[in-house]
Amino acid sequence: MSIKRREVLAGSAAVGAVALTSGLAAPAIAQNEPIKIGYLPALTGPSSSTGIGINRGTLMGVEMINASGGVNGRKIELIVRDTQSDPTKAVNAVAELTQRQKVAVIWGPLNSGEALAATPLIARDKVPMLHPCWVDSLINVQKYPMAFRNAPTNQQIGAAANHYVVDVLKLKKVAVISDTTGYGTASVEAYVPMLKAKGAEVVYSGHVDAANPDLKPELLRMRNAGAQAIMPWSVNAGFLSRILNTRGNMEWDVPVVGQTTLGSGQTKALLEKPEYWNKVYSNNFKKVCFGKDGKLPPAAEEFVARLRKEKVEMGDTLLWWIALGWDGSRMMAETFKAAGSKAGDIVGYWNKLKAWPGVYGTITFTPEQHNGFPDDEVVMCEVNSLKDGAFNLAPGYSS
Amino acid sequence: MDAAAAPIATRPAQTGRVARIEAAVPWVVLAAAAVALPLFDDSYAGVIAQRACIYWILCAGLNLVVGYAGQIAIGWVALLTLGAYTTAVLTAGTVMEPWHPYIALVASGVMGAAFGFIIGLPALRLRTFYFAMTTLGFSTIVTQVALAWKSVTGGGIGTPGPVFPWPFEPGWGFYYFCLLLAALATWMTANIASSRFGRGLVAIRDAEVAAEASGVAKGRLLMTVFLFSGALAGVAGGLFSSLQSYITPDAFTFDLSVLFFIAILIGGRGSILGPLLGTIILTVLPEFAAPLVAWSTFLYAALLLVIVLAIPGGIADLLDYKNRRPLEQHREIVTRPELLSRILKRQDGGGALELRGIELHFGGVRAIDGLDLEVRSGEVHGLIGPNGSGKTTALNVISGYYRPQAGQARLDGETLPFLEPHTRAGQRIARTFQTPRLIGGASVLENVMIGGTVEGRCSFTEAMLSLPRHHRDEAHLHEAAMTALATVGLEGLAAVRADRLQHSELRFMEIARALMVRPAFLLLDEPAAGLSAEEIRRLGALIKAISRSGTGVLLVEHHADLIFDICDRVTVLNLGKVLAAGTPAEIRAHREVVSAYLGA
Amino acid sequence: MLESILSYGLAIGAVYALIGITYNVMFTASRVFSFTAGMLGMVGGVLGAWFITRLGLPVIVGFVLVLACGALIGVVTEIVTVRPVLKGIEQHLYVLSTLAFALMVQQFVAIEWGTEAQPFPRLLPIEDGWVDQQFVLPILACILTVVGLEVLYRHTLIGRAFRAIAEDSYAARALGLPEQRLRTASFALAGMIGTLAGFTGAMMLLAYFGNQAILSFYGFVPVALGGMGSHRGAVVGGLALGLFQQAANFLVGGIFAAVAVFVVFIIVLLLRPEGLAGAATARRV
Repeated sequence: MSIKRREVLAGSAAVGAVALTSGLAAPAIAQNEPIKIGYLPALTGPSSSTGIGINRGTLMGVEMINASGGVNGRKIELIVRDTQSDPTKAVNAVAELTQRQKVAVIWGPLNSGEALAATPLIARDKVPMLHPCWVDSLINVQKYPMAFRNAPTNQQIGAAANHYVVDVLKLKKVAVISDTTGYGTASVEAYVPMLKAKGAEVVYSGHVDAANPDLKPELLRMRNAGAQAIMPWSVNAGFLSRILNTRGNMEWDVPVVGQTTLGSGQTKALLEKPEYWNKVYSNNFKKVCFGKDGKLPPAAEEFVARLRKEKVEMGDTLLWWIALGWDGSRMMAETFKAAGSKAGDIVGYWNKLKAWPGVYGTITFTPEQHNGFPDDEVVMCEVNSLKDGAFNLAPGYSS
Repeated sequence: MDAAAAPIATRPAQTGRVARIEAAVPWVVLAAAAVALPLFDDSYAGVIAQRACIYWILCAGLNLVVGYAGQIAIGWVALLTLGAYTTAVLTAGTVMEPWHPYIALVASGVMGAAFGFIIGLPALRLRTFYFAMTTLGFSTIVTQVALAWKSVTGGGIGTPGPVFPWPFEPGWGFYYFCLLLAALATWMTANIASSRFGRGLVAIRDAEVAAEASGVAKGRLLMTVFLFSGALAGVAGGLFSSLQSYITPDAFTFDLSVLFFIAILIGGRGSILGPLLGTIILTVLPEFAAPLVAWSTFLYAALLLVIVLAIPGGIADLLDYKNRRPLEQHREIVTRPELLSRILKRQDGGGALELRGIELHFGGVRAIDGLDLEVRSGEVHGLIGPNGSGKTTALNVISGYYRPQAGQARLDGETLPFLEPHTRAGQRIARTFQTPRLIGGASVLENVMIGGTVEGRCSFTEAMLSLPRHHRDEAHLHEAAMTALATVGLEGLAAVRADRLQHSELRFMEIARALMVRPAFLLLDEPAAGLSAEEIRRLGALIKAISRSGTGVLLVEHHADLIFDICDRVTVLNLGKVLAAGTPAEIRAHREVVSAYLGA
Repeated sequence: MLESILSYGLAIGAVYALIGITYNVMFTASRVFSFTAGMLGMVGGVLGAWFITRLGLPVIVGFVLVLACGALIGVVTEIVTVRPVLKGIEQHLYVLSTLAFALMVQQFVAIEWGTEAQPFPRLLPIEDGWVDQQFVLPILACILTVVGLEVLYRHTLIGRAFRAIAEDSYAARALGLPEQRLRTASFALAGMIGTLAGFTGAMMLLAYFGNQAILSFYGFVPVALGGMGSHRGAVVGGLALGLFQQAANFLVGGIFAAVAVFVVFIIVLLLRPEGLAGAATARRV
């Protein structure tokens, strides 16, 4: 046998042995060991804008907690696995986090596509899970007893938008459009019946590939059908900006009411003319909007001041994303402080959480309801009032 | 002692056994590691291992398409998608009563086979690059349909994957299921690879013209392989949907197609072990280096570039130490015409291969302008003339590569169809080529065994499942090929890679391959070009012996001495027309032939 | 509706046609089908956005720089991925080497530039009245390129040298033409045409890595339909494709438009593998 071949075989056996045995050592949880949080953001890949925003808040929160001594003397360790907006990477990462790293809790995934695949697996591994994704089916107390959501559901978001169009703007004929992602299609599926139940007429409803550069055919169809408002549901800034640009080029004066990303810095950058951002209203959250007095609620004011001090970039993202990340890390830290890091204790604590005061939202869980965001805090805002990532409440809007 | 009964060297059998044990070692190591994995109780490693098994099931099939057949199929994730959705939708019960997971998995295999067939159809007519593009387009279409067909696939929201029942429940049970299927896939593809079908695929890839002349039916073989590979990919998809527990269209990215394709190329074409290692490496690698995850596709592409430029043979080439042993420097080709009786059946004369009134032009060029030619059994018929006179073209017309504008080719009075070169071997018409057509990466023995394709009796399925008839076929072909090699004096080089041979050895190898057809008629296209004087003498003796066995030989040559030495009759071509025909003595004296070609 | 189909369809069709011409220029010089045509288009848009928006360079300077980068990438493509492969035995491996290179550039752009589409600046500081510059510029670029190539091929020495190499490389070499250098030059030319396509089309497509896949496939369809090496076929095929795609978008909606294009593509290819205007392949035995 030639030496080369022997070496190759021996080498591969060695690599295999190392890879397997590194899984053998299960770390003993000593008193001063850090508390591990498994974190599954999508920081790269096509749907990464949400993740990047939430990430800033999460990191800032964890840093602050660790800087002031951690939780009962133990530091918090964020174990980050970038899912790259890819469900297969999310599945691999879940296995690593729950089995090998043995994390106490999982924060994320931050995108619905990955959350759909990850949630059943995390539930199977019996690890508590906190996530901010909106797809309704992701929370189910029977199927996923350890999964909790600290953000609104698609139902709540759609209800707020529909309420604004039908009850505040008093418009009857509506066009609903989304991209072809999981989030987009699920939204349209859910909202169209809700609109009809409110007595509105859905004159157009469709899905378009976000990469399609020409949306004029769709908007022409909407106009021909007599639409009085356009409701787009997508987190893709390119897609949303094309809708606004086409509306402007057609000189079609209808309000656009829909997804929060309508108001993001990325969407703004892609507009052909600044005035195309007029008469656009997007979902937002009461606690991070400028009120009638032109000021943010006190908690948000304080938060923005902190962001300025830490020189965290706000202009190219949304304030509520950063606030959500901040709230998430703080809530988990307080949970560890109050209940420890065992799964059953964490879940028990969360099941009793009442009106937890976040910068982003006031979170309440019960054993039957793991969706924590209150209905009345979902509002519409006017996007062209963007200032430091926050907006004014939309006009005519009486909460 | 009768020379024909003298035994051929028995050394190959001994090294054969040792070689087989050596070849088995990496498989044993892999199998042991795979079976022992659960003992380490690391479910994370388990998930990665399941993924590797699933990807390998798909890649094992794709290996036959890309590695063996050489088709650039870069959109294969489409079949994974189809298989995954088939199983998921059937078991979820959204469209009809939920099916049992195992049956749904079989359905995935069927879907995969059907669409593998559809994807493969363009490969028969299109050039490499065009085919690559159509596979790309197809994979985009499949994803878009998955997105659009909400009522069945759940659209963007997706659909839950199946959970297999005990003993293959999620966790180690499912791991063993995937491992079992992966082992099965490996076994089946390895069987195909070492059968005449596998050799035929490689022949189509590297020497398509010679493959056709040996009787390899390209269309049927390719479509069978696409069917089989598609089935494997469909099954892999079904397993994938279970591993993911929930599938959405955004899980099936182009990056996955790239991963599969590159795994095979890194592993090396024409190997099973290489792509297996390649798949394992590419699945496991991103897990070792978290910061590299974002760059993983970039690194795969860079790796592909390096492989293509530096080591086109991939890992398999690196591991192939056997073919780096130096060969004997001064090798002699010692032909043994006396062995011909073992290969060629004695025929009674009376048959004839003829061309009547052939006219062939390419655009404005009249390659053949009215040609009548007759080769009788048992005779050596020379065909000579200046360059460009149409000699090789005449051979190509007989072989069926071209359809002439006028005229017929006939074998024993029956018309031979044109544009069907793969039927000639079945008619016992064999040939060699002006430039040797060989499969560089295969051994000399495998190259010669291609010639025996039409003798094979076993079907694709029998080869795949390693049934007795396949083994009988292989043993028979092996023996016949060794005999043919001994006849032409190359049996010592049987295990050597064909691209290491000298030019003259390649010419004799082509003759051995042609002899495997047991030809009634043998067409030789300049077999003496590049041979030494002694080799030409031996070649002449061999050709004479072949004709004495009853085979009719049509010999196209420039070596006038060889022609006049061994030919019974000679035809002279000039500018696509017959200038003269007759015995060698007549031709040598013919004035026009002398002035146009021979010289004084 | 009709005017939208016409204006948008012709404009995007012109971009596809230019990418098809890029494929053709690389093919005629070297008999190599390179996967880099779509990549060049994508890079044209991304670099244009970077130079003009991020770095703030004047439009003309940015434009010239983009073309220069395109030529550079073309030359690198030839040297790194084509030349070494053509020297070897396994000639068709160039398909893989150019694919690998195109993928590397795409991933690099995705990681460094970001995966979100970035805005592409308005190029001409004129008010858009009746005719929108995002439609006019690609069509203009296409016309100028085709005319320019005609002039090149018929009236300049180097153009005739290109044609000689394309028709019969053996004879051309026998005449003393430097095949190697001409091939490099034609890849540089292809690089410029590809980036021109991407630059003028980026107002419609925006600037990001995802354009590569779109342009690679839709830029190839004109070549397949029009016959490889035929620039006129590429233009007709490209414009027809753009119009067909837009019409399908209107009539059946986005997803099915893509399916429709693909089905037509496959059918044409299966019926006439050499394209509607191409020549049958020559002797292979």
